[in-house]
Amino acid sequence: MKEMSKNSITGAPSRHRNGGGNPLGPNSEIARKLKQYYDELVSDQVPDRFAQLLSQLEKAEPAEKKD
Amino acid sequence: MAAVSQSFKTELLGAIPSLRAFAVSLTQNADKADDLVQETLVKAWDKHESFQLGTNLKAWLFTILRNEFYSQMRKRGREVQDSDGIMTARLAVHPAQHGQLDLKDFRGALEQLPEDQREAIILIGASGFSYEEAAEICGCAVGTIKSRVSRARARLQDILKISGEDEYGPDAISAQVTGSNAA
Repeated sequence: MKEMSKNSITGAPSRHRNGGGNPLGPNSEIARKLKQYYDELVSDQVPDRFAQLLSQLEKAEPAEKKD
Repeated sequence: MAAVSQSFKTELLGAIPSLRAFAVSLTQNADKADDLVQETLVKAWDKHESFQLGTNLKAWLFTILRNEFYSQMRKRGREVQDSDGIMTARLAVHPAQHGQLDLKDFRGALEQLPEDQREAIILIGASGFSYEEAAEICGCAVGTIKSRVSRARARLQDILKISGEDEYGPDAISAQVTGSNAA
């Protein structure tokens, strides 16, 4: 089964230094909406074509490399 | 030459949701976004040897995606119209009511930002990158990212009529709401 769990791998970038203060500061309404907007996009179901693409790439693993 | 490792592939798979989100934010179009993600994956695959283990794969992928986006835009000769004035006038938005801001309105406002500001505020405010990482992704100085984020924020506040003091500010815009975003 291909099961692409959302954030298993992508999780957090290495240095998460936004901890101290929200960079969007006091504009929490915007900060929140931004998150909401983005989270909705991130949780969108990933179409199969991508898993298929990676499988194809894997099969076509280049024995030769140009250049 | 090293074959693409299984873990690299697994990580690519795992990054897809974020890549798609970023791509939609840039293109404002789901189909174009998925094409962009596809291109990105192919490029990443080809260039996997240039990825340094232990560094931030997500940032690396975002960089590829972003470069691809801009090079496609250049090729297409900028079908995107970025004369903000027109868009701003057309996309009237309801002022925020009681701090409740409709997501649809927010999306519309985001769409009106110039690309450089939009990507900056997304990278920092939503994708969770640090200013340093965002600067690297965008190939610019940290200070540039900071100023883009703050301009983006100001612009969004302006479009959405959010401001500390007069959230209800009666204004020209509400008079103009002619049903473009009714329904």
